[in-house]
Parts: sequence; structure tokens; C-alpha cells
Amino acid sequence: MDVDTLMEPMDLKVSELLKEVQVDYSPALTELVDDTVSAIKEAINQIPEGIEVTVDEAPGFVKDIGADKVEFKFKKPKSVEIGGSYSMKCIAKPDINVDLFIQLPKECFHEKDYLNYRYHAKRFLYLCILKKFLKSSSLVHKVEWSSFHNEARKPVLLVYPARKVVEFPGLFVRVIPTAKFLFNVAKLDMKRNNIRALNQEGNTPLPTPRYNSSMLEDMFLEDNTEFLKKTFLGWRELREALILLKVWAQQRSSIYAHDCLNEFLIAVILSYLATHEKVNNSMKPLQIFRVTMDFIASSKSWSQGLYFWQQREVKVSKEERLLYKETFPVVICDSYAHLNLAFRMKSNGFLELQDEAALALKCLEKSGDVAFEDIFMTKIDFSSKFDYCIRLNLKGNSKVCASGFCLDDECWRFYEQKVHNILSQGLSDRAKFIRVIWRNFHSDCDIENGLSTLDTEPLLIGISVSSLEKAFRVVDIGPNADNKEEALKFRKFWGEKAELRRFRDGKIAESTVWESKQWAKHLILKRIIEYVLLQHLSLSKTNVLQVVDQLDFSLLHGVEDPMSFSASLLAAFELLSKRLRCIEDIPLKVSSVQPLDPAFRFTSVFPPRPHPLASEKGHVPKLRKLISCCIQPLEVMIQLEGSGNWPMDEVAIEKTKSAFLLKIGESLQNSWGMTCIATEDDVDVFLSGFAFRLKILHERGLSLVKREIGSDIVKRVPSVDKKLFVRGQHSSMINGLQGIYQMYGPVVRLAKRWVASHLFSDCLVEEAVELLVAHLFVKPLPFTAPCSRIVGFLRFLRLLADYDWTFSPFVVDINNDFTPIDKKEIYDNFTLSRKGHEENAQNISPSMFLATSYDKASEAWTRFAPNSLELKRLVAYARSSANLLTRLVLEDQTGPLKWECLFRTPLSNYDAVILLHADRLPYPQRLLFPSNSNQGRLVVHGNASKAFQPFMLPGDLRGNSEEIKHKLMVNFDPLRSYVADLQKEFNTFKLWYDSLGGDAIGLTWETKKRGRDEACEGEDPIKVLKGVGEVGKGFVRSVYFLKAPRLMK
Amino acid sequence: MGNLKEKLEEEKKKKKKSEKAKKTNAELFQKKVMLKKEEKQNENIKTTGKKKRRREKENNVNADKVEGEKNKNKPRKKKRKGEEKNNALVGKSVQQDGYEEQNGKSKKPNRKKKEHHTLKKGETIPEKIEEAVEDGAYYISSGEDCSKGMRKWLTEYRQSRPGLKVLQQWIDQFITAHEEKLEQERNEREARVAEDGWTVVVHHKGRKKTTDSQSGITVGSVAPAVAESQLTKKKHKEIGPDFYRVQKREAQRNEILAIQSKFEQDRKRIQQLRAAGKFQPY
Repeated sequence: MDVDTLMEPMDLKVSELLKEVQVDYSPALTELVDDTVSAIKEAINQIPEGIEVTVDEAPGFVKDIGADKVEFKFKKPKSVEIGGSYSMKCIAKPDINVDLFIQLPKECFHEKDYLNYRYHAKRFLYLCILKKFLKSSSLVHKVEWSSFHNEARKPVLLVYPARKVVEFPGLFVRVIPTAKFLFNVAKLDMKRNNIRALNQEGNTPLPTPRYNSSMLEDMFLEDNTEFLKKTFLGWRELREALILLKVWAQQRSSIYAHDCLNEFLIAVILSYLATHEKVNNSMKPLQIFRVTMDFIASSKSWSQGLYFWQQREVKVSKEERLLYKETFPVVICDSYAHLNLAFRMKSNGFLELQDEAALALKCLEKSGDVAFEDIFMTKIDFSSKFDYCIRLNLKGNSKVCASGFCLDDECWRFYEQKVHNILSQGLSDRAKFIRVIWRNFHSDCDIENGLSTLDTEPLLIGISVSSLEKAFRVVDIGPNADNKEEALKFRKFWGEKAELRRFRDGKIAESTVWESKQWAKHLILKRIIEYVLLQHLSLSKTNVLQVVDQLDFSLLHGVEDPMSFSASLLAAFELLSKRLRCIEDIPLKVSSVQPLDPAFRFTSVFPPRPHPLASEKGHVPKLRKLISCCIQPLEVMIQLEGSGNWPMDEVAIEKTKSAFLLKIGESLQNSWGMTCIATEDDVDVFLSGFAFRLKILHERGLSLVKREIGSDIVKRVPSVDKKLFVRGQHSSMINGLQGIYQMYGPVVRLAKRWVASHLFSDCLVEEAVELLVAHLFVKPLPFTAPCSRIVGFLRFLRLLADYDWTFSPFVVDINNDFTPIDKKEIYDNFTLSRKGHEENAQNISPSMFLATSYDKASEAWTRFAPNSLELKRLVAYARSSANLLTRLVLEDQTGPLKWECLFRTPLSNYDAVILLHADRLPYPQRLLFPSNSNQGRLVVHGNASKAFQPFMLPGDLRGNSEEIKHKLMVNFDPLRSYVADLQKEFNTFKLWYDSLGGDAIGLTWETKKRGRDEACEGEDPIKVLKGVGEVGKGFVRSVYFLKAPRLMK
Repeated sequence: MGNLKEKLEEEKKKKKKSEKAKKTNAELFQKKVMLKKEEKQNENIKTTGKKKRRREKENNVNADKVEGEKNKNKPRKKKRKGEEKNNALVGKSVQQDGYEEQNGKSKKPNRKKKEHHTLKKGETIPEKIEEAVEDGAYYISSGEDCSKGMRKWLTEYRQSRPGLKVLQQWIDQFITAHEEKLEQERNEREARVAEDGWTVVVHHKGRKKTTDSQSGITVGSVAPAVAESQLTKKKHKEIGPDFYRVQKREAQRNEILAIQSKFEQDRKRIQQLRAAGKFQPY
């Protein structure tokens, strides 16, 4: 019962999905298809029988594939028949197309035309004639060239009908020539050479298995389709399973490629399972899907090759099997035992396929119906799957086709293989998968004139990192120096990068060294890749485009990542906690010290660098570099020994804490000479260049909250202690996580920077971002945990954009230890929070439900923000950023779309824009782009105040060191003060700002429904804006007015 | 406490001083505070000043000037009111604005005033849709007064950090006052109780009290861990959820109901998604 009930929701979704993607063979569709097919037949009939077909139809093509003797007299095709998935009723949207097999007549071919590409040339010329006549047909909208599984020597024609039917946009008919009975099968054996040009030099002619398979495929296309049809037509569940598999594959562009899987092969594998009784009639589509995944991922049959059970006497002998295995990495022999249907499959493609299937199985193992989204609804394209994406621009590169376009295989496929070999040797165990895919064919290819235009698309390389320890390894140890042969090979491969080294264990070996700073280790892989590619391929640096560090600019201070100071920060913290624990002259001893600030867990966008004035040494620094006037304090949480003498109410508790902290500060000052700067609420101490802000957690404060819950559920205001407690929990949880995943920190930093730079600082708190990113690592399915910052960032954006925030709670289970009871509690909390939704769709709170082990009711981070409108905006921005990022990874970025656009927010989406004086920001160096508004009307402008400078002036450094230290401003942030003042004074608008150092504030009018205060509605927006400018006197540069508030009557 | 008062007074003095010091500056608002007439002149000066600074249309400037002059005819009483409320700002009443609103310079004071209106009186003011002001941008000088903007934030920053000793005193004072208040409250309460004819028995010896006298909630020395373990102990004594057959059946039925409702929910959700065109894997 258990399994059944768990499966049910998924079954529902699956059946709904099938309804969505299946095409019902309505009269409208069949009519359209039949009309188009008869139009094609009509066009064929118009071709005069026996016209001479010569090279002149496509001289370029014939020359490039290297065919001789291609003339023939045109004869009508022997048959024209609909085949493919349309005939099997297995079409999956959105690819609605119909395969039309045109059987080439034997009369047009000679017996020996299997030699030297004659068949391919004639096949193409035949299609050329067909195309000519199709073009003139009135029922045909357009005719285009395409390729058969990216095989340029085997083009096919795409015929678009003139009549458009709304339900089937972009429907076309694929005209595929077949070669049934044209040649003697024995002549196309794997061992035979059929391209004479290839065996001039060598003594024994090289076999041409791929060339032979290419022809055999055409010869048996109809038979194989017929065979599949027989299996599928009477079996609805199998057809549905096939559609599911297609949907699964369509979402994964890296396996749905010419050297891996295609629709036909999926059907073949399914029919193999059916004939071998691995699936049976009683199974549901999803069960068949699961069996197929399991078969692909882990079946032992792959190592021997798949052979259909033979009905007739044709048997594949052992030697033949062995030969197949030697020739092709993957063998799926057709039911007539003539050819390997998977002859295009490469081993790296197949490994990838197996991995994807294994991941799908993992998804299915998860309880509930989460798996559905992961398997069928999530797009797993190149950019989101691979940690490193590289594009090689090979346009016009003569090396690609140096020895001809078409040999046994095509030159592009050889090149793919070559690139793959170089990279796998260069990266060795650093990479788990290396995918090299070069899609050559695009719709406007003019292949009649030759194949040289097929290199316009960039070659795509995707690399999955095996583990970050390996990827960030600095030294690669090669063969021992004694091993002359291997050492020579190593030297040959690495060129001048190879060096002989003596290692600690006394070993002397060839090696390569990639020295790097700690924060730049993600660039090691980039350097290796660039080095080996340039070394072995005649490429210029500009043609190798690696997506690795394009976004680093947003995290750097100058040329350096501030992350490099983290070690000294942690050391300072250690020292501080030691000193705190040693303090004797306070009534209660410090029992524990815990870091709270994100800088301690490597997730701060800008962890502080040691400030020369904040160290306890008394010397005054020379004013050589710019010295900042402001210093970020880092919060640290202290717990004291237990005592019964604490006061009982919250106000008094807070005051007592302050008194304790002052004492602590004083003690530190007296015994260690540390500077202590305090206000009534905050106590900051300086140590080793960092400012630490001390907070006390008092356990009894926690019970105070609970009491409040009892009295009034609606108005739960967590106490200061509760907030501290939650932050402490969060901090230690995230700290543990980032210890496991090295890439976590950088991804969080990019994500935080993105959130801030689009002025969402007020909407999504840092901790929430950390949790969202944490989810990508702890629940990576259907991916694996990201191993590069860009792929992690992209997945973060997609998560934000695609997650169903309204109807699903977002559960982050970092330690993977939620019990069913916990989960139920979370779901109950969630349903409770969504109850109000039915009545008022606009006002759900929290609109983003984030549950974690320490916060099962989503009260900690997203209780007040984002509200549903903010979330809407956030989602829209995330979606457009994700799309842009995907494009930047996969396509050439000529044009205005550049990487920095990801962090440059449009200022036109606000009702008014406030621009600040960038040189009055506390950390002007963090500003990414100085903002300018050319939209709207300038209504206010003002000068910068002279009272504040972000950097020390020479005059500030005179006097004794203690005085100077007090000039350092802890946590002074005019932006925060400004926003606070505005929020205090106005309630007619909402502010959007960047707390990390942006110089623009967006302003949108709030359209609140007010009964009595209608007066405010009528207020002149310009007047309001002037008030806004006035509040930020000395800080506001200008205010632009874009849109007036909508008046609500 | 006394210290605090002193401090406040000091602040006030400082403010006054700085105000005086800045008077020499051609700062509009300060002067407004000082003298009405001066203000009028100032406004005019400002309009002309603006003219120089901004690339604005001639006629707008003229309009401004006219507006500025019109301002002179305003009754002064109302303005004084605003003054009293905020010594740095001068407000103009909303009712009288009609045309006056068009004067760009006085926007800020207007706003201030309006807030007073809406907040304090809570009355509805006849709504008027003002035409957009056609003058150029409003200029805020970098401002040498401490009531707003950068200078205010800097002053606040400095004032909140008077040094450890002073802070210590503040806190001590607060706590003493707070304790006194609590003491007083308790006395009152006891007195009230005593009036009812009950005598409060106070017993201070013996075990430290762990129960709040008012609510009866356990507080203080009972560690949360102990409390929790006690709670769990209690729970163990209850009969397990699958002890009786009825319970089992009920649980099963509930489960099925839950699954059914989930199923319904899913179906609804899919319909919604489909309607929104989002239930497509492509």
C-alpha cells in the first residue's frame, strides 16, 4: 500500500503530462499531413522521368564529399511512405514533424555505387531535383535543408506546408531518402574499406565502418521502422513510456545529441526491453520508464552490446560481436543483424547518458512527487549542467578539414574526438565528464555549394568537475623520470610546461605546476584548458572562450578578492574568543563565543580587510594608500554562565546585557589595550584590524517568546534573544555546510551581489539567500552539486525564477535529518500560512515560505519580506537574468548584452529614482556602475556634504593614536540612515536599494487602499520627492520623477 | 537621569550655537526660522539663483517669481503654527495651497505640514489634483544644519558614543529607575490585594521560588532541558497511538483522507498551471 499511495500523485502528474505533450490524431492534423504528403507526391510526379542529373546541381557538395561518377537518369522513387514517430503515434510536443521515407529507385544507382561516396552524392542530387520541384508547389510554404542526425553527408529536406494550423505550429515533413535493396550487404561489412582515397599509402586498407554504417542505415531504415511499429502500435503503455522518455531526453540537451541519444534510439532501446520481456503488458508507463532508466544506467548488457533475439536463422557470430565491440563503443545491433544502430554514439556521450539515467533513478527514489518536476519539467541544458563551459570558435579554421571533409567519419566528428582527447589527457582526473559537441547544421546552410560553411556554430565543451580538491590541485605529478618513454610522451604533450621535480618522498618525476592564490584557484582549470588547447590546436586565444571568471569582477576589491583576508579574520576571532573567555573581572564568566557574521562563514560579499587603524598597535599608518573612514563590525555572540539574578522583563534584560558588555569592553581595553567603542545598544572592540560587535545571548530570553505565543498568537514579535538564537543556529548550520562544499561561499556571494545590485536588499535578507543557495547543494537533483560559481549562480537564478513559491514550502534540510513528523509540521505550518490566500491573493505572508530545522514556521527570514509584489518582481528579474546568463554561456556575445548587464539594473522600472553622491558612500570602491538616469524628469538635485569623506584625509591622521582611532566610524552607513529616515517620515512609497554599495534608490508608490487618509492620495508627487531629497541633504545627488502614483478612487 | 537632562540641554545649546553660526550661510530654512520677512526675500533670491543654475525655460522662471510674490500675501498665522511644531521647518497649510503648490521651493515644508494635518487632526482634506510643477529641479544645498541629511546622521553617530563611563552611568540610572518603577507597581498591587480583604503572606525563606507569582508559570532555575525531559517522561505514560484497533483504523482513514485531499489539490494545481501555460515541459 505504501508504495502505491506514494506513487499515486506522481501518476496523476504523469498522466496529465502525457495529455499535454501527446498529439491526438485529430482530423485537422491527419488532413494537414495527408495534404502535405500528397503535395510532395504531386511534385514528384511532375518531375519528368529520365532527365539527366549531373554534378551541376550541387558541384560544391559533390566535390567536398569527394565523390566521383555521379551522373544518373532520374526515376521516380519506388515508394513514398510515412514513417517515424508519426506512424507509431508517438509524437511528443513540441517537435511535431512527420518523417516521409522516399525509397530511391535501383535504376539510378550502379552496383558499385557504395564506393567513394557515390551513393551519398547521388542521394543528395536526387534530393536537389526534388527540392527544385517542391519549391514551385503552391501547397508548400518553404523547403529547407537539414541533416540526418547532424550527418552533413546525409542531408534531408524539410517541407513546411503552406497551410498553417494553429494547434500545430511549425509542423513540417522530413523527406528522408532510403536505399532499400540498393547494395549488397556483404560489401558493406565493418571490416571493408569502401573509400579508395583512404588506402593509398597504407598497405592494408583501413576499414571504413562508419561510412558503411551510414549506408546500411539507409538500406534498413524502413525495415527497422516497420519492426518498431509492430512493437509499439498495439501497446499503449509502451507508447506512453516512449513519450515520457522523449520528454526526459528533450530536457537534457547534452544527451539528446548526434553522438548520443535520439528519438529513434530511444524507441529501439524500448523495443529491445519489450522483446526481451524486461517490460510487460501489466506495467504502467512510469514503471516502464523506471525500468528503462535502470537498464540504461546499470545493465550489464551494454558491455556485450544489445542484440535482438533472432526469429530467423540470421545469427550474429561471436567473432562478429567481438568486431562490433572493437569498432564501436556502444552496440545496438538491429533485428536483422546487419548494422549497429548506435554507430554514431561516442563513449563520452554514452557515459553521460548513463549518468543522467542514474540521476533520474535517484530522483525517482525520493519519496513523494518531487521527482516529477526534476525529471520531466526541469531544463538541464549545457549551461546549467556543466561546471565549466567552453566555446571554441572555429569558423574558417582550415585545420578542421585539412584532410578532407568526409573520411570514414566526417571531419567535424574527428575534431570533436581530438578536442576530447586533448582535454581528457590535460585534465586527467580533475574532470568527471567532458562533453564535446559541435552542432554543424543550421537552417540557412547552403550545402549545395559545399560543406565549408558548416563551421559557423561554435564548438561547445562542457566539463563536470570530479571534485574540487582535484580540480584545485596545484601540482600534477606525471611519470617517473626513469620511465623514459612515458616521460617523453608527457613532455611532448605539455611542452615547456612540463618540469622535472623532486618530491618530498624522494621521487623524481615529470610534473606540471599551476601556482595560484587561494582565492583564484577556480582559475587553475581555466589555465590548463587554455594551455592544452592552444598547445595542440592551432587556435588563437580569442577563439577559446571559457565561461569561468566573467562574473568575478563583482566580488573583487580592485584586483584582489577580499576573501583573501579570511584567514587573518579567523585568527583574530580565535584570539578574541580566547581573551573573552579569560576575562576574570566580570560577575559571570563568558562560557561560549560564537561567530554570527557571514564573513566568518565565507559567505559575505565583502569580508572586511584588516584596517590599519583598528589594530591594537599604537603606530599611526602613513597615508600611502586610501584609508577608509568606516569599518564594518562583525557580530559575535557571547553566552555567559547561568545565573538566577537576571531581571525578568525584556527591557531590563537588554540593559543588563549592555552593562555586561560595557564591562567586558572595559576589561579588554584595560588588559589588552584593545579599543572599545560603544553605544547604548552596541559594543564594538577592535582587534588585529577588525571590529567585532559583541552580543549576549541570554537563554531565559528565549522562554520569554514562548510566553508571548501563549498570550497572543497573531502578534508574535520575537525577542532580541530569539533573533540572536536563530542567527546563531543559522550561522553554525551554514558554517558546517560551507565546510563540505567549497563552492558554496562563492556562489552565495554572487547571489547576494545580484540580489543587492538589483535593489532587492530590502526584500530578501542575506540569510534567505544563503538558504536558497544551500538548497542547490544539499538537494542538487536532478543535477549534481555545482562545482563552479557560474553554474551555481545560474541555478540559483533559475531556482528563484521557477520555484512554485505560492503553493509549495521551500524546505532546506541541511543535515538531511528531517523526520516525517518534522515534515508534517512544516507542511501544516505552510497550509496555515496559506489559508488566507483564498480570500486575498495579493496578501500572502510570508510569500516565500522558507523552513529549516531551526525555523519550521518560516518566521526567521521571510516573515515580512518579500511580500507577494516584491516576490513577483524578484522572480521576473531572476528569470530575465537567468535567460541572459544562459545566452551568454552558450552564444556569442557580440552586441550590447554583456556580462555586467547581469548586475546592472535598469532604473526605468521605478516610479522615481534617487541618485546618491557615490563619493559619500562609506565604501565607494564597491560601487559597480555609477548610475545615471536619462529617463524621467529631474526634480531635485543637491551637492555633497563636506562633513563626511569615505577616506581619511592627511589631516585626520595627526594627533595621538587613540584620537585617530576614535575617528574611525564603526558601522556608519549614510544609506541605511537615509532609508530609515525616509521610512519614518513617509509611508506613501516603497524603497528599493542596494545595501552593498549602490548609488541608486528606486522608489515606487504604494497603492494602499485607504479609507480616511485620502488626502495623501492627492498629494503632489513632486512635492513628496522634494521632501525625499530634503531628508537626504548632503547625500542625495538628484531625484528623477518617472511616474505619478495611480489614483485610487 | 540628571545627567541625561544635562546632556539634552547641552545638545540644545549646541544646536543653537550651530544655528547661529550658520546663519551667515545663505541657507534658506535657517533664515525662515529666524525671520519671516527674510524668508520672503530669500525665496526670491533663490528663484533667481535657480535660474542661473538650471537650464530651465524662461517662462517657468517668471511663473516662479510670480508665485514667490504671491506667497508674500499669505496669512502668516498658519505658518507660525508650523514653526512651533518644528523649529527647523516652516509649513504652509494645504488648504491654502491651490496655486501656491505650484511653487516648487516650498515643497518640503508643505509636506511636513500636511503630515501634521493627517496625523494629528485626522481630518479629510478636500482632494486636489495638482498640476505638475513646470519649473526646473529643486535645489537642496549641501546643508549645514544638523536636522537633516548627512550632518544629522553624523551627529547622531557621535552623540550615541559618549564613551564607556557615560554609558555605564546611563544604564545604571535606567536600571535604578526601572527597579523603582517595578517596586512601586508591586506595592500598588499588594495594596490593592490587601484592600480586597486578603492578606498577602510573604514567605522568603527556604527554596528559591521557581514559579511566577502572577501567572504560575515555572520560571528561573528549571533548565529547559530538564523541563523537556520531564515532559517527554509524561508522554510515555500515555497509551500508544496504535493500542486500540479503533485508533489504528482511524489513523488509516485519516491517512487515506489526507492522500485524497492531496490528490485533489494536485489536480487543482495542475489545472491552474495549465491555464497559466506553465505545465509544459518545453
